Formats: sequence, C-alpha cells, structure tokens
Amino acid sequence: MVVSEAKEIMRISWGPQHPMSGQFRFILETDGENVYEIIPDFGFTHRGIEKILEYRTFVQGIVPFERLAMVDAANVGLAYVRAIEDAAGIEVPKRAQYIRTILCEISRINSHLYAIGLAAEAAGGYPAIFLWTTADRELFLDLAEMLTGARWSYAFFIPGGVRADIPEGFKERALKVLSYFEKRLIAYRDSWLENEIWLTRSRGVGRLSAEDAIKLGAAGPSLRGSGVELDMRKEEKYEAYEELNFKVAVQKEGDCQARFMVRFLEMIESTKIIRQALENLPPGPFKKPVPPKLPKGEGFARVETARGEMDVHVILDGSDKPYRVKVCAPSFRNLYVISKLPKLTKILVADVPVVIWSFDPWYLDADR
Amino acid sequence: MLIDERCIVMAELPIPIPIPLPEWVVEFIALNWETLLKIIIIPGLAFILLFELVAVWFERKFLADAMLRIGPLYCGRVAGWLQLIADALKLTVKELFAPKGAHKVLFYAVPVFAPTIPALAVVLIPFGPDWILFRAGGAGLLLFFALTSLIPVLTILAGWASNNKYTIIGALRSAYLYIAAEMPLFIAAAGVVILAGTFDLVEIVELQSKMWFAIPQFIGFITFFIAMLGASERVPFDIPVAEQELVLGWRTEYTGIAFGLLMTVEYACLLAWSLLFITLYLGGYQGPPILGPGTASGIFWMLVKLGIVVAIAIFLRVVFPRYRIDQALRLGWRYLIPLALLNIFLTLAMKPYMLALLK
Repeated sequence: MVVSEAKEIMRISWGPQHPMSGQFRFILETDGENVYEIIPDFGFTHRGIEKILEYRTFVQGIVPFERLAMVDAANVGLAYVRAIEDAAGIEVPKRAQYIRTILCEISRINSHLYAIGLAAEAAGGYPAIFLWTTADRELFLDLAEMLTGARWSYAFFIPGGVRADIPEGFKERALKVLSYFEKRLIAYRDSWLENEIWLTRSRGVGRLSAEDAIKLGAAGPSLRGSGVELDMRKEEKYEAYEELNFKVAVQKEGDCQARFMVRFLEMIESTKIIRQALENLPPGPFKKPVPPKLPKGEGFARVETARGEMDVHVILDGSDKPYRVKVCAPSFRNLYVISKLPKLTKILVADVPVVIWSFDPWYLDADR
Repeated sequence: MLIDERCIVMAELPIPIPIPLPEWVVEFIALNWETLLKIIIIPGLAFILLFELVAVWFERKFLADAMLRIGPLYCGRVAGWLQLIADALKLTVKELFAPKGAHKVLFYAVPVFAPTIPALAVVLIPFGPDWILFRAGGAGLLLFFALTSLIPVLTILAGWASNNKYTIIGALRSAYLYIAAEMPLFIAAAGVVILAGTFDLVEIVELQSKMWFAIPQFIGFITFFIAMLGASERVPFDIPVAEQELVLGWRTEYTGIAFGLLMTVEYACLLAWSLLFITLYLGGYQGPPILGPGTASGIFWMLVKLGIVVAIAIFLRVVFPRYRIDQALRLGWRYLIPLALLNIFLTLAMKPYMLALLK
C-alpha cells in the first residue's frame, strides 16, 4: 500500500510526446521514483464514432466502427455486425460463422503479437522482440489479405454473413503459416517470456487481485491474468466457438507477467481454433440477403476482442441507419484499472510503461 | 579565351615553392615524434574517434541483423560505414537550444567537458611495453579511478542545469547507479593490486606474461565485467537514459552537436572501461608476437581483445531488457560488492598459490 500523502509531489506529463505513451497522456504524480497517482487524460483521439454511425447505413458503418481498434479490426467489426443482427433477428449461415471465426482468430493473433512486442519495447528490450513479432504478424496480415483483400481494415463481415468465400489454396497456406508460427511461439517463450531480466521486471509488478479486477471492471486478458475465468467466446457461444474445442487461458498471479502469459497462451489456443475451423468448414452459402432497411428494434452484442469484452448496443428505428449506437470498450475499462492501480500496489516510474502496456490499452477505442 | 591559351597561362604561373618549416619545429618533431604519434594516432585522438566510428557502426549493423532489418546502407557505399559521420554533420548544423530556465553556462559546459574525461583515462593505458602516453607509475590505477569518478558529477550537472523533470530523475539515477557500480569495480581491482603488489598498470601487464589474471582472479573478473557495464551505462544498466521511461534521461534537453557530443561519452566510457578490463584481467598487450616483438604486436593484441570485449557488451543489448533502478542497486550492493570482497579474501589467503600459478 502506498500512502499518497508525501509532501513534495512532482507532476510529470507522460505523453503524448513521449516515446512510449502512444496518442495519450498520463499525468504521473511522483516524488522521484515512486508513483502515487496515474491520471489518464482522455480525448486526444476522440472522433465521435458513435455519432458518425448515425449518419451511415449499416454496411457503411462497419468501416468507421473498425477504426475503434484497427489492430484488431475483425473482432471489433464483428461486435457491431452482431448487434445489428441481434436487433433485426438475422440468422447467419453456418459456413459464414466458421469463416468469421477464422478471421477473428487471425485478428486476435495479430493483436497479441503486437502487444507482446510492445511489452518488449516497454521493458527496454527493444532490438529483438518487437521487430520479430512485427515480422511474424506479416504472415497473418498476408493471410487476411488473401481472405478479405485487405491487410488491416477488412470490413469483411456484413449483416447476414461475410463478403466472400474462402479462396482456393487458403487452407494449405494457413496450415503452413500456423505450423511455422507454433515454432516461433516457442522462440518467444524462450527468449522473452522466460528471460531472466524480463521476469525480474514483470513478476509481482502491477499486481491486481481477482476481487479488485472484478470490482474495478478489468476486461479481457487483464481479468483472466488475475485468475477470473471469463471469456465471451465461452459465455456467449457466438459464431462457431460453441462447436470448437478450446480452453480459456487463465493465470492466477495477476501481475504483468501473468497478463502476458495469458496473451501467449491465447495465441496457442487461437492456432488450435483456426486449425479446427479449417478442418470442419461446413458447405453451404456464405451469406444471406439482408434488406437495406431493417425493422424497428433493439440489439445487444458481447464479443471477446483481443483487449477484452466489447459490448455494443444498437437501437433501430426502421430506416437504413441505426438510431443510436453505444459502445462499451474494453480499453476504457482497463484504463480505469490502471488509474486505480497505484493505490493497490507499489509502482515505480520504471514500471509505468510495463504496467500500462501489460493492460494493452488501445486509446482509440477508449476515446472513440 | 581558348582552352589551349588557358593552359599556356596556367603553365606560365610560377610553381609555389613549399615554405620550409622553421628549424625549431623540425627539431621538435624529430625529438618528440613518438609522443606526437601517441597523442594524435594511438592511443590518442584518432584511435578514440575511430573506435567510436567502428563501435557505433558495428552496433547498428549487429542490432539491425538481430532485428531482421538491414541498418545503415548508403552512406559510404560499403555497408553504410560513414553513417556516423553523416549524423555528426547533420547534428552540427542543427540549432543549439537551451530550455527556458536552464543554467546556460553549465548546460553548455557539460557536453564540452564530458567526452574529455574518459579520453583522459585512456591516456593511462599501456599499449605496449614502452607505448604509453602518460606513465603515472605507482599512481596509474588510482588516477584512472579518480578521473572516471568525475563522470557522474557532470551528468548530475547536466540533469540539474536542464531544468526538466525527466533530466533530474535521470541524473539522480545516474548518480545512484554509478556508486553502486563503481564500488565493486574498486574492490575487484583491489584484488588484482594485492596479487600484483603494484598500482602500476605496466607492471600489472608484465606480470601476466605467462597467465592472465582472469584465471586466479576469476570472481573479480566476472564482478568487474558486470560492474563495468553499469559504470558505462550499457544494457542492461542503461537505466539513466531509459528511453521508454524518461525520454532520454539526463540528455533529454540537448540538441544539435551538444547532443552528439554527449552520445560519444557513452562509447568513450565503454572504451576506457574495456581497456582497463583488458589491462587488469586479459593480459593487456601480451600475446604471441605476430607482428614482431615489441610495440606493433602489443597494439595489435590490444585491438583484438578490445574488439572481443566490446562485441560482447554490444551483444548483451540484443539479449536483455533493462533492469529497474532499485533492482540494479540491489544487484550492486547485495551481490557484486560481497563477491568482490570474497575475491579479496581469497586473494589474501591464497596469494602464494596464485603467484605460483602465474609462473
């Protein structure tokens, strides 16, 4: 416990012009090395996406919605699409569900690779790992390009299915990439996640107990890193996840290392999911026609994005545009946890980048 | 005017006769050519600058290889070896800028004086039995430590004079780290001094003609190497300039060539400490006389050993992230200092056996 009654407090502006802050500002209250407060300063990247969606048709709206977290575009886009389908009561063909699952897991691997690379950078081990993960992400970006025609913003999921079927040769290539990637995962574990100095930097740092994680509303790997087994893929059983066999990655320690181990284990699970989905791909249509104007209604979707549970609430008024869209973003919840963390555990200035990137906030979806 | 005519005009111009150097200059050079050679070429100016050029180039290329990229490519045509010169040229034409509220005199004094201190320490290192710029005799090792312990004073001044929060934290970290790293350095070197019975660096090297001190002083050898990385602020001890936490630590506010000069300090420190490490533990200039007996092979072996030590220090940067300041201090005070003291005990207890090992 840190008592924040030190007399000489120094306020440090950590960002947005800082090498490790991203497009965001934290105000740190310190006395040299001890951090007493981390105050997030929201709004640097506010774009009014919820309002923009009210002026876009359902299909047009998918593109700005994916801008919430570009690194994880498929999962985020799926949240919006599923909310619309829930409101209008649209059933999706089986084959489309499997294709969606495959792309979602590719997107999750992309995002987690980026997170682990940033962890390496945050702890000062920049040279090797960040660019290794970037190089390996390239393979998955190419896979996504083969499937959807885009490397980043796919806009591939539409209400009623997906835009295109799995192309020829995709399965063989995906299996090749996956078997290569499984070898690389071992390299990451040996050279980074079990690196002596990385363990001294991350073990016991930024510890968040299970009760605090639930009370403060942590989401995703941050929650599972504290030992709470909550995964929307198991809870909501959306798309093909019910029929596929996978485990929820959980770590008990609740420190930075545990959060990264959760991401690491989730990548292993994702490779398993992609393999199974490719094996069991059912025949049939990959999309169903949906009228441009949807009936009046209200829809809600919970989707497990790479950063955690994303909730989308949509209200339709019978036109071709949503009346109102409300997003509950995982990064916003995790940023709140970060701001409360100095009260729960001792944090030094050197821990700040490691702790913040162990929660892997994507400031754009927090600001919206 | 036609080209031919111009040629004729050129040909008619009187050929400039070189002005003969004054007699006293010729005499001075004839008497002191060896000292001048030492000052200008090795271990003086050219050597230090060339070392920085090569070390920075190697670090960039090596890191690039580890990071799956190419690194400097175009400057100098062959593998971008001129990149550092290009960077230095760029930095010289940048604006020098002191932040508001900075202590201008100190702010600009530090980058001028900081690179000279490790360079002065290099002067004390023997590169051959007779090839030493300043033989301080019995004060050699002491003078080396006295000079290098001035470095944290300058970093603290730089951090304070910049009037910035990041620089102050960085400067204080630098001071803490230097004390935690330099104590084990002193104590480990004391083991060598006890064994050799002298502070004179030349005599220390001469004693290692049969066996390097790295073998009888093995604990001190390891301790010195780890503490040396801390003293020269290399990974995993680059805590004072931790980019991810403190932007650039105590160097944050410097721009232009002042920044460039401060960057050279890091490499000059690495050079000075590596040379002392080689002198104390790796037999200094001793080695098989490949280039004939005497100075030439001495310099050759110094350069080879320097290359290996610096390459290992750079390799560590690929493998390890950075320690936190409290962890680095704990390493220094809890492990390195006791290890170095253990080394002294062992040396005192087993000095006759160790000396027998050397013969």
